[in-house]
Amino acid sequence: MASKFGLAGGIPERRVRPIWDAVDSRQFKNALKLSTALLSKYPNSPYALALKALILERMGKNEEALSVCLNAKEILCTNDSNVFVDDLTLSTLQIVFQRLDHLELATSCYEYACTKYPNNLEVMMGLFSCYVREYSFVKQQQIAIKMYKIAGEERFLLWAVCSIQLQVCCGNGGGKLFQLAEGLLKKHIASHGLHEPEALSVYISLLEQQCKFGDALEILCGKLGSLMMIEVDKLRLQGRLLARAGDYVAAADVFQKVLVLCPDDWECFLQYLGCLLEDGSIFIKDSDPIHPLKSTECKNFQISEELFDSRMSQAVDFVRKLMVEANDNSARCPYLAHLEIERRKLLFGKGDADKVVEDLMQYFIRFGHLACFTSDVERFLEVLDYNKKSEFLKKLVKECVGSVSGPTKELGQSITVFKIQNSIGDLFALPVNDLEDIAVRMIEMFCKNLPLSKELDVQESMHGEELLSLACNVLVQLFWRTRDLGYLLESIMILEFGLAIRRYVWQYKILLVHLYSYWSSLPLAYERYKSLDVKNILLETVSPHILPQMVASPLWADLSDLLREYLKFMDDHFRESADLTFLAYRHRNYSKVIEFVQFKERLQRSSHYLMAKIEAPILQLKQNSNNIDEVECILESLRCGTHPLELSNEIRSKSLTFNEDLKLRPWWTPTSDKNYLLGPFEGVSSCPRENTHNQIKQTEENVVKTVEKRSLLPRMIYLSIYSASESVKENLEANGALVDSKLSLELKILLERYTKILDFSFQDAVELVLGFSSGQKPFEAPSPDLIDWMNFAVFLNAWNLNSHEIKFSDTDPSSTSTWNLVNIMFRKYVTETIRCTGPVVSSPGSHLPFLVQLVTEPLAWHVLIIHSCIRSLHPSGRKKKKGGSVDQSNTQLLHEMQNSIQSLCDTIEMVTRWLKEQLNTPDDEKVEALFSSILRNGRNDGPGKVFNILESSSSLVKDVEVGARILEAVQSWSPAGVVRNIITGQRSLLSDFLKLCELKLKSLQTVRLQL
Amino acid sequence: MVCIRKATVDDLLAMQACNLFCLPENYQMKYYLYHILSWPQLLYVAEDYNGKIVGYVLAKMEEETTECHGHITSLAVLRTHRKLGLATKLMTAAQNAMEQVYAAEYVSLHVRKSNRAAFNLYTETLGYKIHDVEAKYYADGEDAYDMRKQLKGRKHHHHHHHHHHHGGGCCSAETKADEKPGSTEAKTE
Repeated sequence: MASKFGLAGGIPERRVRPIWDAVDSRQFKNALKLSTALLSKYPNSPYALALKALILERMGKNEEALSVCLNAKEILCTNDSNVFVDDLTLSTLQIVFQRLDHLELATSCYEYACTKYPNNLEVMMGLFSCYVREYSFVKQQQIAIKMYKIAGEERFLLWAVCSIQLQVCCGNGGGKLFQLAEGLLKKHIASHGLHEPEALSVYISLLEQQCKFGDALEILCGKLGSLMMIEVDKLRLQGRLLARAGDYVAAADVFQKVLVLCPDDWECFLQYLGCLLEDGSIFIKDSDPIHPLKSTECKNFQISEELFDSRMSQAVDFVRKLMVEANDNSARCPYLAHLEIERRKLLFGKGDADKVVEDLMQYFIRFGHLACFTSDVERFLEVLDYNKKSEFLKKLVKECVGSVSGPTKELGQSITVFKIQNSIGDLFALPVNDLEDIAVRMIEMFCKNLPLSKELDVQESMHGEELLSLACNVLVQLFWRTRDLGYLLESIMILEFGLAIRRYVWQYKILLVHLYSYWSSLPLAYERYKSLDVKNILLETVSPHILPQMVASPLWADLSDLLREYLKFMDDHFRESADLTFLAYRHRNYSKVIEFVQFKERLQRSSHYLMAKIEAPILQLKQNSNNIDEVECILESLRCGTHPLELSNEIRSKSLTFNEDLKLRPWWTPTSDKNYLLGPFEGVSSCPRENTHNQIKQTEENVVKTVEKRSLLPRMIYLSIYSASESVKENLEANGALVDSKLSLELKILLERYTKILDFSFQDAVELVLGFSSGQKPFEAPSPDLIDWMNFAVFLNAWNLNSHEIKFSDTDPSSTSTWNLVNIMFRKYVTETIRCTGPVVSSPGSHLPFLVQLVTEPLAWHVLIIHSCIRSLHPSGRKKKKGGSVDQSNTQLLHEMQNSIQSLCDTIEMVTRWLKEQLNTPDDEKVEALFSSILRNGRNDGPGKVFNILESSSSLVKDVEVGARILEAVQSWSPAGVVRNIITGQRSLLSDFLKLCELKLKSLQTVRLQL
Repeated sequence: MVCIRKATVDDLLAMQACNLFCLPENYQMKYYLYHILSWPQLLYVAEDYNGKIVGYVLAKMEEETTECHGHITSLAVLRTHRKLGLATKLMTAAQNAMEQVYAAEYVSLHVRKSNRAAFNLYTETLGYKIHDVEAKYYADGEDAYDMRKQLKGRKHHHHHHHHHHHGGGCCSAETKADEKPGSTEAKTE
């Protein structure tokens, strides 16, 4: 093994360089030509072969690339001493194998080289990186130890220690392994000391993980402690270790020192307070970074009243000192620290609510104009009762009127008052008229203050930008209470008005995404979503705003784009992340190695990712559902539908993570499966803010169920299609071949699993569905559950074709079979839904998504089953057998088919009629009707006041100086355009759905012709 | 109320969100990861009390040149948390780490000519000086000021930061985050 000067993979560099250059300049054709020429000279050179494979892979010829690579590997792994192996050859092969998703082959090349050239550090490092890419922590550790033994270098030891930590944190290694790691480090330190700050961090974290806080402190305060360069970092760590060791007094001293150095460090203040109260809960890390426990809400004070008093006065003195010393006017921490002390006193039962209100007022005078004020004080408001909160609000209003500060500050304070009013739930208690006044005042304030923003660049946030979001929230609430469409339209109007002035405001866009989705203008919602320019990791955190609506929509092409883009980002990241892990090893940032591997796992267990992985194939099945051959191809590529199932089993064995930033969602839809606007307004008691926590928990449980339910679909579709065709063959070949009972049994097991997720036993579920035939009405239409139940009924019918376990009494002529039952259910639920659904333009929150799902999912699966039966009745080549008639035993089935097709056609036609009715109304008519909802025309109450202000703003801005950009934006803004866009969006959604229905009809009619 | 602390990998989610809300442009995630895995001491976030990330600074070391120096890649503070001196605190934290951990001799950054607020922050509050002008540095054709600030630089430092370039081989397919110009798109007023 040698890397010789002037040689590359044993070939003179001058011969290889032209190939490198060609590849670097992406001239792959030329590179391939050169590489072929090189190979004719060096036919058995692994490096020449590896190069060719690399070029082939870049050209997208993966299969050829793999075969060339395997050839190279074979030559490499012979015992022929003439074969030249060097790191360049190995690493080139590694790159190609990795890109071809064959990490294991790359690893085995390195493993071979390591045995052939023992003690070669370069190759061993290559092997280490292979194991890093495979996340084989144990093997990583073993090879790192070997390297350490050979070279005695600190970094190799740390690589081993890191690998051990990974076994415990991310693998299934037991905590005892920590002792091993500690022992290794101790021995090394005794003979060589430590030289890297990160090595010290690892050592201390190792001790911490074993709860050896005393030992850790000893190390930190000893000679090695000098490795820590940044003083406050060292102090923070020392404080934490002391606290965890239970020495709260010493810890509090250390945190005081940190606070003197960094007076605005809130985290540190809380730790300081925790130490004074001898409450260590703040030092225990949350395992869930998205939903952190509010550790400071912990009320289990363990100290005596007396001690509490003295400790609190100690804290007060210290904070006072900080305030005096702080020459930083912008430091909020000391002021909030004061409030926090008062809050703790209240929680301890020794506080004074009036004092808290007083301190809050002081804080308002100082920081009330800042946008962060409301979120700053939320935790303090929480400990006040409603009366005290109202008192605070009254004082704020008074203070605001009396203050004489500049216009920007005044605006900031006024916005804060609105936000506080909203935050304490006061808005939900107000009568409609007062609420309306608030919205009007907000919009007036926004327009009046436009001149403040006259010199701002378009990318800068405007003054008072928040007012429009706040007013939107109020207007949506007004709509919820009154069901007056005018308010809903106004809520949209003001946001669009805001976007016309400044198109970058993401808050407006997110609100609009939800409002347009709600109002069946999904294409428009999608447009606003796209304008957010969501990419990279934001696909994980922000795309949940639109994805659930898209899944239940006919916008298949857009949904497909969304899913593809998101999955590509995630899968690319997973493919590349191991390389990045190795980057951290190389840079000796050991703590980051562990963090990063954990981060990768967090993303891999993402509920959103899993959902997308399962929805993508379901979408494909929907898109091709009119062609059974295509469907079978797709199912085959999903390993007969088992792939999604395995995926959900695999990921569900670990707990899912939820990474959506729920704080960005509007109040009326705190989670993706909840929308308060779909139900009636229920007064103050339903103030959603209070319910958010429970709602989130509920949603997380639902998501797990939904994922499992959806992951069953492809396999159930596969088994149903199979079952249907087998049932026909069974009849055709009477007394002939046995039906594959294994698959039938599997379908039953899946049906049982499915009903279990719906919280029913299989038997109860069957009875429930059968109850329908005897006139009972077990389900309400429309409801999301109904889609699940219809799926169940469809697959139950398919299963019954073979099992014949469900029998009907002859006395009931209306439903003599499960075929009939399913058909009637479809018809009935579609009829009911259409009856209770008005035109989409006047029915926000329409049942359209339900209808779309019903037709494109359970009904589509049902049609596929029919297709499958008919295909088996008329296998190609057998069509004309016996004068074209089918076997007698299938006559009944044939009859069922004809009935089913007729019934389904009738059902779909009902939908198309309903859609056409709406599409037939001219857009102008709809625009006019909708627009009239906000024109006041002499009315005194109801919506329109806000819109009036917007309308008059265009004349208003002429008289005041707002700058050319804003002036033009306001004057060219067209409210009628907003209304028209909504209507156009709805039309496009309706006609997309109509197209799908018509295609389904056409495909049914084609099938009928085959009968 | 805001804690300036070293960023963790988990913070990336919030940091990218921060960038979306502050800037029209967004770096690839790989680029953030490349920074945090290579120079974790140079990434700081400003965390509000409820764990919300309201600002961050992204910086790196340029070790290829003769003088070891730091470079500020990106700085962002949410609109809601401006005028609180957070940008200054974030910058100071990163600069200190460059000096103390990596013994950087100076720190550099790029700023849009038109970004007066950021320019003022760098010159007046933080003591940066214009070193050069880079014509058409930004994608939209705007020029950038190449700014520098001298650090004290420790003469002696026992922590040498080696690069161990390994693997790669021909055609440099070795992992490297996209080397995009380190444009310091500061939006902090």
